[in-house]
Amino acid sequence: MNVTVIAIFVFIVGITLVITYFAAKRTNSASDFYTAGGGLTGWQNGLAIAGDYLSAASFLGIAGAIALFGFDGFLFSIGYLVAYLVVLFIVAEPLRNLGKYTLADMINARFNAKKVRGAAALSSITIVIFYMIAQLVGAGALIQLLFGIDYIWAVLLVGIMMTIYVLFGGMTATSWVQIIKAVLLMIGTVILSFLVLKNFNFNILEMFTQMKTATPHGEAYLSPGVKYKIPLDTISLMLALVLGTAGLPHILMRFFTVKDAKTARSSVMWATWIVGIFYVMTIFLGFGAAAFVGSDLITATNPAGNMAAPLLAQALGGDVLMSFISAVAFATILAVVAGLVLTGASAFAHDIYGQIIKKGQATEHQQMLAARYASLGVSAFSILLAIFAQSLNVAFLVSLAFCIAASANLPVIIYTIFWKRFNTTGAVSAILTGLISALVLVSLSPSVMSPEAGAAIFVGDPIFPLTNPALFSVPLGFIGGWVGTMLSKERDLKKYSEVNVRANTGGFRQL
Amino acid sequence: MTKEIAGSETHSKKNDEEHVRARQSGGMPDFEKIENSSSFRELMSRKKRFLIPTTILFLGLYLLFNIVISYTTWLNATFIGDITWVWVFAFGLFAMTWILVTVYMRRAAKFDEMAKATLKEFDYDEEEPK
Repeated sequence: MNVTVIAIFVFIVGITLVITYFAAKRTNSASDFYTAGGGLTGWQNGLAIAGDYLSAASFLGIAGAIALFGFDGFLFSIGYLVAYLVVLFIVAEPLRNLGKYTLADMINARFNAKKVRGAAALSSITIVIFYMIAQLVGAGALIQLLFGIDYIWAVLLVGIMMTIYVLFGGMTATSWVQIIKAVLLMIGTVILSFLVLKNFNFNILEMFTQMKTATPHGEAYLSPGVKYKIPLDTISLMLALVLGTAGLPHILMRFFTVKDAKTARSSVMWATWIVGIFYVMTIFLGFGAAAFVGSDLITATNPAGNMAAPLLAQALGGDVLMSFISAVAFATILAVVAGLVLTGASAFAHDIYGQIIKKGQATEHQQMLAARYASLGVSAFSILLAIFAQSLNVAFLVSLAFCIAASANLPVIIYTIFWKRFNTTGAVSAILTGLISALVLVSLSPSVMSPEAGAAIFVGDPIFPLTNPALFSVPLGFIGGWVGTMLSKERDLKKYSEVNVRANTGGFRQL
Repeated sequence: MTKEIAGSETHSKKNDEEHVRARQSGGMPDFEKIENSSSFRELMSRKKRFLIPTTILFLGLYLLFNIVISYTTWLNATFIGDITWVWVFAFGLFAMTWILVTVYMRRAAKFDEMAKATLKEFDYDEEEPK
């Protein structure tokens, strides 16, 4: 702990609290709380999407994975980016045209059935909780390393900060924390990339030549197959990454913070450029860490490689840059978990309390109270889980969240928009089939059961061979939706005409 | 519509309701009629003509890439110096994403115009966003 670290750290905490203070004054209705009143512009929302999306797993995890495994670490970057085409082409605009605050709103624009809303809220909550545990456990371990604070205090610190943002400042504060974080992250990554390239004499060819001998893997470092050796497993994981983003509730929620589909579209464009440029730079971060820090030191500091980027900053820019990158990592975690709390709260307070229990008749005051209680509840529950999960290997939970999003949410979204015959039974069975099959297959997979003690949660031989079940659970979600639809005679073609017109024209939004 | 509004949502809500009431005397707009109108059908067919092939293209290339690197070593061949084809293909997927986003933004501007025209045809005017 030195003065620079503390100064940068206090600065980030201070500025986010000032934002929260001003945001709190402007948060007077449920619409302000969940969607910042729908008043973000395209570039603002695009930066916020990037801020929501580029989690610690992206920044520290991918840089570390590339440093340790070369090309295989970069696979995540590819999947995470191409996913935005699915978001843009299929989901973003209909979602904005049909929904109000949540994914469940959009599906209910067509069905208006409690059980559909309940199922959609359930899958959103499951995804948010898994994602959150992974983020908080990672955050605790990181802050412990960076600032020398005890794990429990580190988790509590992050937890209390995220609660303050959401509780008082709602979506306005959360969005601006995400925007600032995205800008800081890009600045930090550009500085690091520049220093790495400078050390390679700005010669990409030379960089690759040097990387052939820089790591224990030798030439294999630059080719696929160092980490992911089982073909079906790789394909399954990559499928989860590319299809999952379009079903992640905290990303979907970001499309309600703009005024119309056109702005939602330009948000995705901004996000795609920012996220894409960032992921290109992960190559420089990873290569630089492998070449100038060395895999021995990286794994000695953190076996998963999460400290590669901060160590690289230390090696190339000394303590000041290291402090800055650590602070950026901290801001990264804060922005992501705040978005998750808000999303979890919206599923509880808006979907379950406001729409299912109160049937949409809750007063503005009741809605605000519910939103704030739900934020507190989601925060407290996640902090507790994260404290208990300290010694568990939870890194796989991020991929699992993507897998559930792809299996439980994407099929129902696609059917709702495109399939005339689709009905409520189909919607419920699509969500539940995708959700349950993803959960069951993961609990039988090597991520949860491993013959090696300590490698996973339980000791034992995995029954299901793939670490990520997307290859099976995504088709199951689609099949479940189809079977459920066919089993029920119910159909409402008139309603589909309405949804079809509204989704594609953006008109009649408030009927 | 010149008066200051707190949130665009309440504003358009009022606006929509006014329009719908003015037009339908309390009833719902006839969505089936709109759906079957030639202008809406034209919009949908143009959308589909663009979206279906491009979606098949990008998902296909993405899956192809993953299948090829998982099952073969074809892409480990040299491209320039020590850069192998696998990096070229990977970067190609990045370029593909940016290109398709840019192309879509242009197309979508056209879709917007068509959607607006369809709405106008049925007496529904979204006010100009401020």
